[in-house]
Amino acid sequence: MSGYILPILFIGLFCYAKYKKVNCYDTFVKGAKKSIPLVVDIFPYIAAIMIAVALLRSSGITSLLCELLSPIFNFLGIPTGLIELVLLRPFTGSGSYALLDSVFTTYGVDSYISRCACVILGCSETIFYVTTVYLSQTKIKKLYYAIPIALVCSIVGSILACLICKII
Amino acid sequence: MIVGSICFLLWNDPSNTLTIMVDASTDALSLAIELCAIYAVWLGILEIVEQSGLSEKLAKLLRPIIKKLFNVDDSETQKAIALNMSANILGLGNAATPMGINAMKRLDDGSGKATPAIIMLLVINSTSIQLLPTTIIGLRASAGSASPSDIIIPTLIVTLITFTLGIVLVKICNKIFFKKKSKGEVKK
Repeated sequence: MSGYILPILFIGLFCYAKYKKVNCYDTFVKGAKKSIPLVVDIFPYIAAIMIAVALLRSSGITSLLCELLSPIFNFLGIPTGLIELVLLRPFTGSGSYALLDSVFTTYGVDSYISRCACVILGCSETIFYVTTVYLSQTKIKKLYYAIPIALVCSIVGSILACLICKII
Repeated sequence: MIVGSICFLLWNDPSNTLTIMVDASTDALSLAIELCAIYAVWLGILEIVEQSGLSEKLAKLLRPIIKKLFNVDDSETQKAIALNMSANILGLGNAATPMGINAMKRLDDGSGKATPAIIMLLVINSTSIQLLPTTIIGLRASAGSASPSDIIIPTLIVTLITFTLGIVLVKICNKIFFKKKSKGEVKK
């Protein structure tokens, strides 16, 4: 069902553009041309954050943190198996999908923990990645409370996810 | 953070440090190439949306919400924010990124400091409001789940709550923080 949404939207868009007498091909090419400079600009930021995450993970700091924080997270209702996911989610998208996969294989796809993991991933974003990429074209250095608020929301979301999956 | 991790590695596994960094950088490059392709498609589509006047309509539709949340009057900025938010709601995170970058560029006043609108846009993008978590449903289906889509409703409930929480928190903080600041400037 959801597979049909995008193609239909695209067809609708092209028809509408034709109706408005827009030259679809030229316009598309004009827009697509902007993608290479954009990626060239954001690549250094992606590289920096991915190197930081890789170092963090392979150094064993994350597993140490997981152990240290597990009493707190368990108290909040987040199972031990999901702590690494909750901790890494703000940093890396591909990393958290890899973790989701390992949660699937360890606990089974339809288990409570796997469902929690899915909801956690669905309701949160890679906060640090989004921040670095979004701000890569601006000069903004001072963010005040933006990141703390985003992190609070993400933690609250994780707690709620574990709670709601118990009910539904 | 990086220095800390390297120190830790020195103790654990010193010879691998550079390999890990280069591997990560390689991953970043392949991700960037992938993104380049994705952005090419979306920026192309976006240009058509723009030229056909659809983005204007979308912005008009979302204008009351955007004005309330961001307090911006510039119609180009409103358009960029409207597109970013609608892409997020449709679950097109990768399509939302170029528009978000665009909106940020327009919101930046060059002072090097975030404005209330920038903070709002960042938090909204971080709470990731979306109607259909398509990627995760796909992953569940490919892992052999009996009902891959049964996470839709819980996800929706949680995102709606965190989304509202984020907006409320930003609004409160903006009120407290920027009021104080303008008072301070008056005193000076």
